[in-house]
Amino acid sequence: MDLAELADVALTATRRPDVQYADARAVEELTESIDVRDSRVEGVARSSSRGVGVRVLVDGSWGFAATHEPDPGEIRAAVDRAVAIARAGRHVGGGEVRLDDTPPPAGAYTTPHETDPFDVPLAVKVEHLLETAAAGREVAGVSFVEATTDAWRRTTCFRSTEDGWFDQRVVQVGGGLRATAVGEGEVQLRSYPNSFRGQFCCGGWEEVLRLDLPGHAAGTAREAVALLTAPDLPRRRTTLVLESSQLALQVHESIGHATELDRILGMERAYAGTSFVEVADRGRLRYGSPIVSVTADATTPGALGTFGFDDEGVAAGRAPIVVDGVLEGFLTNRETARTIGLRSNGTARADSWGTIPLVRMNNVSLEPREGDLDSIIGDTDDGVLLLTNRSWSIDDRRVNFQFGCEVAYEIRHGRLGRMYRNPTYAGRTTDFWGSCDAVGGHDDWFVWGVPNCGKGQPAQVARVAHGAATGRFRDVEVGMR
Amino acid sequence: MAWGADRLLTSARAAFGAPGADGVEVLITRYDSALTRFAESSVHQNVGRVDGEARIRVVVDGARIGVVVTNDLSDAGIRRAAAEAVEVARVVPADEEFAGLARPAAAYPSAGVDDAETRAATADVRAAAVGRLLSALPSDAVGAGTVETGSGEIGVVSSTGVECYHRSTRARLSLLGSGPDSTGYAEDASGRLGDLDPDRLSRRVADKVQRGRAPRAASPGDYAVVLEPAATATLLQFLGWTAFGAKVVAEGRSPLSGRVGQVVCSPAVTIVDDPTSALLPGLPFDAEGVPTRRTDLIRDGVAVGVVHDLASAHAAGVESTGHALPAPNPDGAMPLHLIMEPGSASLDELVAGCERGLLITRFHYTNVVHPIESTITGMTRDGTFLVEDGRIAGAVHNLRFTQSILGALSGVEEVGADTELATELFFGAARAPAVRLSRFAFTSTTTF
Repeated sequence: MDLAELADVALTATRRPDVQYADARAVEELTESIDVRDSRVEGVARSSSRGVGVRVLVDGSWGFAATHEPDPGEIRAAVDRAVAIARAGRHVGGGEVRLDDTPPPAGAYTTPHETDPFDVPLAVKVEHLLETAAAGREVAGVSFVEATTDAWRRTTCFRSTEDGWFDQRVVQVGGGLRATAVGEGEVQLRSYPNSFRGQFCCGGWEEVLRLDLPGHAAGTAREAVALLTAPDLPRRRTTLVLESSQLALQVHESIGHATELDRILGMERAYAGTSFVEVADRGRLRYGSPIVSVTADATTPGALGTFGFDDEGVAAGRAPIVVDGVLEGFLTNRETARTIGLRSNGTARADSWGTIPLVRMNNVSLEPREGDLDSIIGDTDDGVLLLTNRSWSIDDRRVNFQFGCEVAYEIRHGRLGRMYRNPTYAGRTTDFWGSCDAVGGHDDWFVWGVPNCGKGQPAQVARVAHGAATGRFRDVEVGMR
Repeated sequence: MAWGADRLLTSARAAFGAPGADGVEVLITRYDSALTRFAESSVHQNVGRVDGEARIRVVVDGARIGVVVTNDLSDAGIRRAAAEAVEVARVVPADEEFAGLARPAAAYPSAGVDDAETRAATADVRAAAVGRLLSALPSDAVGAGTVETGSGEIGVVSSTGVECYHRSTRARLSLLGSGPDSTGYAEDASGRLGDLDPDRLSRRVADKVQRGRAPRAASPGDYAVVLEPAATATLLQFLGWTAFGAKVVAEGRSPLSGRVGQVVCSPAVTIVDDPTSALLPGLPFDAEGVPTRRTDLIRDGVAVGVVHDLASAHAAGVESTGHALPAPNPDGAMPLHLIMEPGSASLDELVAGCERGLLITRFHYTNVVHPIESTITGMTRDGTFLVEDGRIAGAVHNLRFTQSILGALSGVEEVGADTELATELFFGAARAPAVRLSRFAFTSTTTF
C-alpha cells in the first residue's frame, strides 16, 4: 500500500458512531547521517521508517495507536486499540477535549529545494567531508577534526473525519565541522557554522555546499588550539554580547519553550516542566525591553521549522509571540487554543507516524532591529562577546538559565581583546530580556536550525529554527564554574 | 504479539545473502509499548505503538562498513536494506578501527524480566494505576505523570555465527504532585508491573508536597547536601556518559584519562555497570551480540575499569566488556546499567548527620560544563529543603548547582542503605543510594 492508501484504510476504520473526531497520518521518513573524523569515515547511517498513526476522540478523550505493519487487519487493530485507549482515559476524569474551528486542510506542499540530498551520490558527500577534515587537520596542535552531514525526507499523508487532507514532503539538510584540541587538562572545541553538527535548514544538498565547510576548517581548528592556552573567563557582572547562533538558542530555551501553551496549562509538568508564563499574562507581561519582538513563523523561507501544514492539518502561518517587549501570544494546537478561546496557530507536530502531535516550535525568531556585530561591539565600552553554544540548562519553569559557549572575547573600548575559554553566563528570563539594549538588523540576522529539541513522553525530537541577530545585554553574570 | 526467537531471527537472516558482502550482522528489535500520561489529575495523552527495526551492518573488502536501518521487517524489506548497506560499504574507505564481527558466544547470561501480566496490561489497567497514583495527594494538589507498560524482543545474528535472542517486559510509574507552592516527585520501574506500588509512590509524593509548603529563598553558595537516590543517579548517569567509555578515556577526553588505577573519589564510592543485575532492566548481550557482564568502574574510590566494544577492546588488546551501542557509533562504548553500591544509613540518619545543608530530591535539565573536570550544571527540583542541626528546617526555593561530579563524590560522608532506580535521563538506567556530601556548589537561585 502506498502512504495515501495506508491513511485511507486507517481513517475508514475510524468511521464509527462513537468516534467524535479522528485523523490518520501515514508517514515515511528517510534519514542519512555521515560522520567523518580526520581521514576515517566513522559512520554512514541510512534509515527508513514507515507506518501509520491514528488519533481518535471518544467521549471527549484522546486515544492514539500506531503500527508499522502495512496490513489492513493490523491497521484496523490499531484503530480498535486507539478507541479502547480513549475510553480508558475517561476513567480518571477531567474535562472533555474540544477542538477549535480551524477549517479542514486541503492541499499539497513540498519544501523548495534544488538537489534532493538523497539523489546525491554518497561518494560525493563523503569526499566533501573528508576534504573538510583534511583541511582542518593541517593545523598544528589540533587533536582531531570531525565533519558531518545529515538529511531527512519526510512524506506525510494526512486524512481526517472533517474531510481534511494534505500530502506534504519536507526535505531538510544539515552540515558542520568541529575541531577538538586536547591537552593541559582541557578539551576545547570550535565548531562551524554552529555546534552540535552545524547548521540545518529546509532545502537540498546545495545548502550544505553553501556552507563551504572546507574553506572554514583551518580557521576553526586554529581557534580550538588557541583555546587550550587561553585563560578561563573570569566571574563577574558585565555587558554581554551574544552572536546570533547563541542568541537563537537563548530564544529557544527562554522564550520558545516558555510560551508553549500546553506547558503553560500544565500538560508537560511531570517531565520538561511548566512555565513562569500564565494564560492571563497575554497582553500584560513585560517579557523584555521594547526592542524585543518575537514571532512564530512556519513560512520563513528555507528555515528548518518551515512546513505547509502542521500535523493537525493547520496551515502554516505567522503569529506574534512578543511585540515590543510585551507578551502577545502563545504557541498553540487545536486543543489548547480552544481552551482560551483562540484558534490554533499551527504548531502541533509529531516526530514520526508513531507519536502524537505536541505543541512544538516552528521558526520562533527574534525580529531584527539595527546594526550588526561590528557596530554593537564598537558601541560597547566594557563587556564580553560569547560565541557558539556548548551547553545549556534552564529550570522547570524557564526562569533561571545557564549557558556555556565555546569561546569568548573581551570587549574594551569598542574593540575585541583577548580570547577566553570555558565561558558561561546565567540569568533569569525576564530580567535578561529586559536588559537587552541592542539587536542587530536584517543583514546581521540569520535563521539557525535546531535539530534536537526534546519534549514529551514518549520522548520526541523536533527540528525547529530561530532567526536571530547579534544581541547585547547589560549587567549579566558571566564566568560561573 | 511477540514473534519469538525463530521468526525474529529467521527474518533477520534474510540479510545474509546480500551479494558482495563479506560479513553481515543484524540487530533486530520489535516492541509494543503503551503510555498513559496524565496532568492536572486527568489523562490527557494516551498512546500505543507497535514498531520494529532491523539494523544491518555489512562488511565489504574486509573493512568497508555500511549500515542501513529499516522498520520494514519483511524478507523483502530486509534484503533491500542489506543490498543498500553493501552499496554504502563499497563507497566508504576501509575502517582501520574495525575489529571484525563478534564470534559466537558459548553462553549468554540471564537478564531482564518477561512477565505475562505486564505484557497483557491494557489501557484500563494503566488508568487504574493512574487513579492509585493520585489517591494520596492533598486536596489542594494536582498530579501529573505516566504509567508505562511495554514488551520487546531483540536479537542479533551474524554471518560469523552469532545468534542470540531476548524478550522482556517493562513497566514504569512516575508522579509529580503540585500544591499551591510546592511539588514532590517519585518514580519507579521494573520488568513487572506488579512489582510497582502506586500507593507508596502517591504517599511519598504527598509527603513531599506537604513538607515543601511555604518555601523560603536560599542564598547561593557551598552547602553540605544529602542527595536522595534520584539526585545521586543523575551524577552517575553523567559520569556514565562522559567518563567510563574506553574511547574517551584513551583520547584524554574523560575525567578518568590517565587516572585509571588512581584514587578519584571517596573510598565510600563503588560504581559498577551490570546489565545482568536483577536490580535493573537488563540485557544479556550488547548490540554486537557480545555477552554482557558486570564491569567494575570505581572500586572503593579507585578508578578500576572502563567499558569496551569490539573496536576499543581490539585497540587496547583486551576483550569487549559487552557495551557496544548500535552501529555506527562514533562515540564508542557506554555503560547504560550503572549501580552505585549502597551503604548502611537510612535517609533519616543521613539528614541527622548534617549540621547545616540542603536535602535534594532530584535534579533537572543537567548538562556538562567541563568534561575533564566532570563539572555539570543543573537545577534542583520537586523538593529542596534546608537542614539545620540534623533536622529538616523547611523548604527552600530551587537552586542551580555548578559542580564537579568527582569533586562531589570525593566528599562522601555517608551512603544510604536503600537504592532506587532512575530511568528518566537518556543515558540508560542507574540505581543509586542517597548520599551525604560535605560540599556542593550552588551558583544561583530561582524564584520558586
